[in-house]
Amino acid sequence: MTKLALVRASKNVVDGSTSGDLDLKAEVCVVGTGAGGAVTAAVLAEAGLDVLMLEEGGYYTSDDFTMREKDSLPHLYQEGGARATKDLAISILQGRAVGGTTVVNWTTCFRTPEDVVAHWRDAHDVKGFAYADLVPHWEAIEKRLAIAQVDESTLNANNRKLFDGCKKLGWSVETLRRNVHACMQTGYCGLGCPVNAKRSMLVTMVPDAIDAGARLVFRARADRLERRGNAITKLEATLLDSAGIAPTGKKLTVTAKRFVMSGGAINSPALLLRSGIDDEGRVGARTFLHPAVGSAAVYDDDVFPYAGAPQSAASHHFAHRGGEVGFFLEASAWYPSLMGGAAPGFGGEHLAFLKDTNKTAVHVAIAIDGFHDEVAGGRVGLRPSGAPVLDYPISAHLWRALRFAHKRMAELQFASGAKEVRTLHDPGVVVRAPGDVDRVLDAAPFAIGRVPVFTAHQMGGCAMGDDRARAVVRSEDLRHHAIENLYVIDGSVFPTSLGVNPQESIYGLARLMATRLAARK
Amino acid sequence: MNRRTFLRRGMAGGAVLILGAGGLAAIPTKDVATPTRALVVLSKRSFQVLVAFATRVLPWGSDAVKVVHGVDDMLRCAPSEAHRDFNDLLGLFENALPGLIFDGRVLPFTRLSPAAQDAVLRHWRDSRVEVRRTGYQALRRICLAVAYTDEALWPPIGYTARPVDSLRAIAYDDSKAGVAP
Repeated sequence: MTKLALVRASKNVVDGSTSGDLDLKAEVCVVGTGAGGAVTAAVLAEAGLDVLMLEEGGYYTSDDFTMREKDSLPHLYQEGGARATKDLAISILQGRAVGGTTVVNWTTCFRTPEDVVAHWRDAHDVKGFAYADLVPHWEAIEKRLAIAQVDESTLNANNRKLFDGCKKLGWSVETLRRNVHACMQTGYCGLGCPVNAKRSMLVTMVPDAIDAGARLVFRARADRLERRGNAITKLEATLLDSAGIAPTGKKLTVTAKRFVMSGGAINSPALLLRSGIDDEGRVGARTFLHPAVGSAAVYDDDVFPYAGAPQSAASHHFAHRGGEVGFFLEASAWYPSLMGGAAPGFGGEHLAFLKDTNKTAVHVAIAIDGFHDEVAGGRVGLRPSGAPVLDYPISAHLWRALRFAHKRMAELQFASGAKEVRTLHDPGVVVRAPGDVDRVLDAAPFAIGRVPVFTAHQMGGCAMGDDRARAVVRSEDLRHHAIENLYVIDGSVFPTSLGVNPQESIYGLARLMATRLAARK
Repeated sequence: MNRRTFLRRGMAGGAVLILGAGGLAAIPTKDVATPTRALVVLSKRSFQVLVAFATRVLPWGSDAVKVVHGVDDMLRCAPSEAHRDFNDLLGLFENALPGLIFDGRVLPFTRLSPAAQDAVLRHWRDSRVEVRRTGYQALRRICLAVAYTDEALWPPIGYTARPVDSLRAIAYDDSKAGVAP
């Protein structure tokens, strides 16, 4: 039995789908096992605390990862990969499994930009920590997760086109840092790494936590917290069947000294809302998505966009645009179902788009929301069933940025040798020459239902900050302003988006805050 | 008008028009296929409409019934409210009277000729009504996304997946996975 299978088979791990009713006690109950929850649980367990982790998703390992979307989508993604904003304008890619989104992300790592941390301090009263406080925690995480900058020679052709195009245009561009060890360049990061090269939470901090004595119940959906005065007294959860869909009829009740919400943006605020904690509308507000649009370019030479590490280069040349919304540029993974759904048209038109797959590069422009009044994010609410739903309006300001970003993508694609650029508009929009970029894309409709927008980065909804009239949790320890044993430690505490892929920001912040929490035991 | 309001008003409007316009909207949905297993989310009528929709949208050679069952499976993961919305959307798509108002057709979608069905798809795609566009895109994308999970569709687009077994043979020992490199 492999190490990971041994961990899963540990007596500390309970499969909720086969369990009877459970009534558990712990010093700390951590809800969620993604970037925030796994790090928090590991730090606290290693400090000697009695930690109980809850996870709604299943516990899968590399033996289960078949590199096929038909297997990964229903098991590893929220709502089977079909989660979307309330008006269906934005597709939401978000993980749901032991290890959270880190199991399916594309391994890109950035520390939080220093200017973003400064902005939080100056504009959002985040005074409980400084950038320098995060550095040793990032360093520790980088060592544990083998985060390192990739060599330019390893870029696949998709990333190479991005890199070369930016260079030719004089735009800043860099190779990325990835959390991989002995990466075999399978290209399947988004479907669960089949060879455990990705150092996700599944293969690092979750096993660390369990090795240190933490317990884990998976297939357990946290329904609500029970509050009495300024304290949470217990958590109630529903145990789910092996598919993670239907309740088994069994319940889990947890009593703990402290409760840590680490379900990520959308799910953490939803749990608070289901518990009647809305903090006068602040819970769920200012949820950010890094809304992204894609551009496909056809080249004469082979690209094979699905081969090799999906993301290994990025440009932040347009991250700071003053009064306009900034964005950054990265390559996209390419999987048949992902692109089958994204490609425009139907019948022959759709097939024609995909027939050029092996000579197509796909790049994405990722908008940096939360820094302008006109792009202040969305709001998480609840459906009648209690399931979360995100209302995220796309303002004219944001559409303008997405159009501008599309033009820049087309320019870099032509600069790297593209013979034709195709947006994902439906009906399709094609730019056939560099000189046509402005004319064609100025005429293209940028509106809901005309061009697909998606997100792989969800942030905010439980903002941290020291002004309790504006924030949900304190910045010094991520404790709720009024409820003394309730903490939120995940990406939902960011008061803006980040302008970079979020996983390492969450790791560093979680490790800092869990370390502080452990010191108070 | 948000999506839910549109769907509800569309259905209600359809019902009112049914009363006023007599038999026009009473034309039943045509059975275009037979489910091969029990449906979980889709109603029987929705199944027929979605098979008709998928038949026009999917690449030639696709098995529309298999894809629609795959959509039904995928929807199981969505909240119950989304199940209701999806069935309502397909009902609206099928209904001849809203179709008459918006698309100028007098038959349910399932009873139209292929060319007329394609025209309806374009009407929804290009509609000035936002929720019709997003509804159409939701149906189109979920059908195509499910369809392309089928390996039979990969050769025509040149996609060559790596076989899992070959990777397993050379994968490094995951006993190292729980410790620092």
